[in-house]
This record gives sequence, C-alpha cells and structure tokens, in this order.
Amino acid sequence: MVLLQISEPGQSPEPHARKRAVGIDLGTTNSLVATILGDRPRAMPDAAGKVIVPSAVRYTSDGVEVGAEAKAGAAQDPYNTILSVKRLMGRGLADVKSLGEQLPYRFAADKGGMPSIETCAGKVNPVQVSAEILKVLAARGEEELGGKLDGAVITVPAYFDDAQRQATKDAARLAGLHVLRLLNEPTAAAVAYGLDREGEGVIAVYDLGGGTFDISILHLTKGVFEVLSTGGDSALGGDDFDRAIAGWIIEQAGLGVDLDPGQQRRLLDAACAAKEALGTEAEVDVCFGDWQGTLDRALMASLLDSLIDKTLRACKRALRDAGKKASEIDNVVMVGGSTRTLRVRERVAEFFGREPLTDIDPDQVVALGAAVQADVLVGNKSGDDMLLLDVIPLSLGLETMGGLAEKVIHRNTTIPVAKAQEFTTFKDGQTAMSIHVVQGERELVSDCRSLARFELRGIPPMVAGAAHVRVTFQVDADGLLSVSAVEKSSGVAAEVTVKPSYGLDDDTVAQMLRDSYTHAGDDMAARALREAQVEAERVLEALIAALRENGAELLNDAELAELEQGMLKLQQAHNSGDADTINNEIEKLNDLSGEFAARRMDSSIKRAMAGHSLDEFEGGE
Amino acid sequence: MSFIDGNQNYFQIFGLEPTYRIDTRALAGKLRQLQQQVHPDRFASGTPRERRLAEEAAALVNDAHTTLTDPALRAAYLLKMAGLEISANQTTADMDFLMQQMALREELEAVRSASDPERALEALMEEVEDLLHREEETFTELYESADYPAAEATLARLQFLFKLRHQAEDLEAQLFDD
Repeated sequence: MVLLQISEPGQSPEPHARKRAVGIDLGTTNSLVATILGDRPRAMPDAAGKVIVPSAVRYTSDGVEVGAEAKAGAAQDPYNTILSVKRLMGRGLADVKSLGEQLPYRFAADKGGMPSIETCAGKVNPVQVSAEILKVLAARGEEELGGKLDGAVITVPAYFDDAQRQATKDAARLAGLHVLRLLNEPTAAAVAYGLDREGEGVIAVYDLGGGTFDISILHLTKGVFEVLSTGGDSALGGDDFDRAIAGWIIEQAGLGVDLDPGQQRRLLDAACAAKEALGTEAEVDVCFGDWQGTLDRALMASLLDSLIDKTLRACKRALRDAGKKASEIDNVVMVGGSTRTLRVRERVAEFFGREPLTDIDPDQVVALGAAVQADVLVGNKSGDDMLLLDVIPLSLGLETMGGLAEKVIHRNTTIPVAKAQEFTTFKDGQTAMSIHVVQGERELVSDCRSLARFELRGIPPMVAGAAHVRVTFQVDADGLLSVSAVEKSSGVAAEVTVKPSYGLDDDTVAQMLRDSYTHAGDDMAARALREAQVEAERVLEALIAALRENGAELLNDAELAELEQGMLKLQQAHNSGDADTINNEIEKLNDLSGEFAARRMDSSIKRAMAGHSLDEFEGGE
Repeated sequence: MSFIDGNQNYFQIFGLEPTYRIDTRALAGKLRQLQQQVHPDRFASGTPRERRLAEEAAALVNDAHTTLTDPALRAAYLLKMAGLEISANQTTADMDFLMQQMALREELEAVRSASDPERALEALMEEVEDLLHREEETFTELYESADYPAAEATLARLQFLFKLRHQAEDLEAQLFDD
C-alpha cells in the first residue's frame, strides 16, 4: 500500500506504538495523575512515594512552588500561597469577594472581569495558578512514561458551568497539555468501578471533596455510562466540616473571633485532625492553646448533620430529576476524602437504603477512572465497549426583553447538543445585534450566571423585521458552548465575537502562552515548530488509521491518490522545519480530507441504523 | 450525506415507524448503538474535520432522541412531518376544554388547602392520567386516519395535560418529599 511509504522510521511515530496518556483529577484541595500500567489504572507517585499533590501554589521571589512544599508555607506566607484555586475558576471578582472571608488574598480586577491575585511575583489569575499545578502533574506523567504526553483527560465537577469548564481547559492549554476530554468527576468514578465489576443498573455517585459536593445519578449498561442527572453545591465540602468543628472549639474554649491567619490555620488543622481520628477512635482529645476537650462521634455527628443534610437534599433533587427513587439505586459510589468520615457513610447508607461502595481509595477513584478513559481516547484500547454520555448541568439561556432569561438548552440535556434560535432586527438597516448568554435555572437574567456576550455583525441591511438571523448554540462533549450565526434569507454568515463574562478570550490565552515561553526562557520559534509538528503527526496518524479502516471502500482511486499526495506534502512540510509551512499544509489536508470524513461518518451511521443487536431488545430502562 | 444533511426524519434515524405509540425500550437501545458510532469520543484521535462532523451527528442523534422520547414533542413532530406549523404552546378555541382546563387548575390550586392534601392530589393525578390516556388514543386514531387538523386540536389538549401532570408532580415533591 502506497501509504506505508509516507511514514519513514523515526519521522513519525509507529501507528501501533503505545501512546502516553494520563488522567488528571484537578481537585480543590488535592490533585493527582494516573495512567494505565499493565492493564490497570495506577496513580503516579512522586520520588517520595506520595501520589497526592496538594492543590497549593506559592509564589516566591525566585520561582513557583507547587504541592506539599507550597502548602506548608501557607501559614507564614498566606498572601503568596494560593489554596483552593478551583473555587475561583471561571468566577468574577464579585463572586470571589463573596467567598472573601475564607480567602486571605489581595484581589484585583483583571481583563475580562476575571479576578487576579497580587503576589510577590506580580499579578496571577486562577487559570495561571491552575496551570502551575497541571504542569507539575504533567511532568510527573512525562517522567514516568518517558516522553511528551499524547493526551490527558482532566476531570471537572459535573456541576461546573461553561465558564468554569473553559477556564479549566485554558489552564491545560497553558500547561501545554493536549486535552482529550473534560470528564465529569462522578462519571470518572463510575468508570473506575464499572470496569472492575461490569455492572448494570442505576448508580448514585456521592462526591464530597474538600470544597465541592457533587451528586450524579448514572445509568450503566453494557459499558455505556449515561448521566441521568447531576446536582450539588460548588461551595460545600470537608473544609466546612473542619470549620464546624473549629466553631465548636472556639465556643468551648471561649476564644474570640479575631484570630490571626496563622492561628486560624492551626485551629482548622486541629479540627481536621480530630475529624480524621474519629474514623478509627470512638472519642478523641482535642487541644488548642491552653484549652483541652473531648470530642466523640455522637457530638461530631451533631456538628456535621446539618451540613450532611444539605448534601442529602441535593441527592433528593437529583433523584427527582432522574425520575428515580432512592430504592431504585443499585450502587452508591463514594468519592472524595470527606466520605471517609463515618457519619457521612452512615447517613448516605441510611438515605439510599444500602451500603455505599468504598473499596477503591476515594481520593484516587476519579483520577483512576480518568486514566481508563484517556487510554481509550488516545487509541491504546478499543472504545467499542465504553461510551460516556454526559448531560449539561445547568440550562443555557438568552436575555430577552425586560431582563428575562429564555432557556434555549435545558439542563440535563444529553451532550453534545445543538439548538438554533431565530432573531430579527427591530430597526431598518440594522447590521449588528448583541446577544447575552446566561446559564442557570432562574427566570431573571440577574439571577443567572452571565456567560458571554455575542456581537453579531455583517447582517445585510434590510427593513426592520425582515432579517432572520439563525443563531446556533452548540455544546460539545466537554460541555463547552460555541455559537454560530447565519442570516437566512441571504445566507450570509454573521461574524460572532465572543466576550466571556468571567474568562479569557482566545487572544488573552495566546498572549499568556507567549509570556510563559519568554518567562521560561524558551525559544518561541522552536516551541511553535514543535507544536506544529505534533499536530501534523496527529493529523497524519488519524488519516492513516482512517484509510486503513475504510479508505478502499469509500474512496475511488483518484480520490485516494489525491489524499495521499496531500499527506505526502504534509510529511515533507513536517521535515522542512518551518511552522507556518506545516500549519498551511495541515489546513489544506483538512480541507482535502473533509469529504472522506463525511463519508466515514455517514457509513458509521448507516451501520448503526442497520444494526439490530440484542441491545435493541434488552436495552433501555 | 443523507444523515448529516438531516434529510432523514427522526423516526428513520432510530429505525422506527412514524407513529405516536413507540417502543421506548427500542429507542434507548438504538440511542446507544448510534452514539457508539458517532460520539466525538470515538474520534478523539481523528482529524479536526472528523471531530466536528461527529459533534454535529451526535447532536442530531441526541435531538432526535429527546424529541421522540417526550410524548408532547413527539406528537408535535409527527404533525410537522405532515406539514403543519406547530408551536410549542398550541392554543385552542374549544370552549368545553377551556372550561375543563380551568376546573383542573383550580383543583390543583385547592390541593394545598385540602383537609387531606395527599388524597386530593392523588385523585387529581388519577383524573389527569385518565384524560391523558383518552387524548393519546384520540391523537393516535386521528393521526393514523390522516385527519391532521383534528389531531392538532388534540395536541393542544395533550400539551396542557402534560404540563398539568408536571405541575402536579412538582407539587407532590414539594409537599411530601421531606
């Protein structure tokens, strides 16, 4: 076959070489990275054998520290040590200020309404802080797997809105990671368990981390995970348990509320230690300063119950959204370090009427599931037996007259999804329109989260009401929104300019990338070339694999020859060492292969439509 | 490109006859089969063009599934296939039905203050189910005999009843879930 001439040894990776893929759990309190070793997912440890990287970043005058080292410095250097940055992702300055009491940082408004934090190393924004954590995890993966990573699956809370997801993806881009998929944390946990058990049925994933709570109801059958509903609270977690216990200590010890940051930290550490000790002990002695007291399980239960109640109310709502009763749940999966607290397990078991699954480490289960998915997506393992169908967690709407939000895509709609809405002009000769996209369930725009404003330009001038602008909102498999618009009568595509309400536009991300190169002393041209080459390799490999599969069946000789010619040109460009030439050839090859891609898709569909597997008779609810 | 251009109707995509009464189990099974083929995850290592086409195809399959699963949307879609212009909230000039609507709404509002709210709501829900069942039968008959204008009038009643059922379920959740 002619194709084999294209790939010469050493110039392009072997098509069947194992790819380097990782799953990353970018958590509020802790983060970790996992990969497939042998045939099982394993969390990757550092040199000291620790798998967990505390999600802490400390800026010093001579560099950046990440992890345990940074966390240890939090008490004496609170302004330069960023903890729980996940809570700030995709948030505006006003949201962040409402969290202010828990966060000691000095915030400043940044471009695009995003907060930035003043540190001794200058202003940093949450995306940059998260990227530092991701870089450390990526480096760990590269070291262990012996080379640049081919791709990563990064997990996000199922409840994350568009801005939060986009911020996470931007952070990954800044860290130089190729994101295969943003995966919902509960789905990842279900993957980790489902793979072991090949289960079928309805699963509740109860995920109580340090700072966030998520509940998801999933339907699992024959390796297909379908999210039926999600819910939760993006500001509730084990940290709140510590605060509740700390509150009790303050009350018992007769302390004032004016503790300095260092004392606060020690108080919370004492509370956390007591909480953890009660996992194995019936009661524990607590000391703080001169005060000493005893905390037992019953007393702790009384301190935590109102917080646990909040999580159970969210469970109830999620069950209702899924159209399920607690008694219909076949398995309850526990995720997040806070589910080690016995009282949580007791209350969850009582609520669902069954013992929750706890045999996979609740701190690792999400990263392990992400590693399984990464392995499939990168092409190491056939994906025939696994498919993750997620839903959009919050409704997407548009601002209409009078500040009302009109829902375009309802929450819990399976993604990817596309919905079109038509608009018209209200003035003669109007050539532009402004559209405000919001996310949330409330009726008033002011009660929803502002996602972005779109300017539609280039509408052909017509009398008022004559132009019909069809705006299509598309949410991809990562849960990210994109918008396109076309004027129907003229067929003119309107230009869409996205201004994220609390995020970075593409130019800003590109600028940050450039800044980070110069900062790291990298040669930008060399970096750009390497990236173009990696993309060229990716495109070539994808095409080679596609042609192997059904090139002969779907293309005639002339088409095949033309495509191979384009591939050869890209391969030559790849070797030329000029980034622009490579990107140019990638573009051309993408156009050239468009028809083949469309035929492949069509043939896949026809196969699925013609197929009458047992699934059709046994599957379903 | 029959599929991607959207020339296939939603029933054809799912390999089903275009009728109001459908096998929802077959629908769920077929959804999985289709998504196994077109979901963007299947093209994570594909070319950018393939990934974009996969997004579009998967979105179309999902939209078809949503439409066919929801009985009110399914009925509206059947009428659209028959060439009628259907809005999300059909209006009706049927006086008898309007009176009945009002009575049912009042009944729903009275549940909270009833001496036995649970029993009152249960009675209302039974009544709604009964009416729904009859309207669904009527819709099926009219649609199958190609009497589309009459079927459209039935759709307005169906939409109202589904909405009422939804409101009753919400109320049930509010009143008795805690």
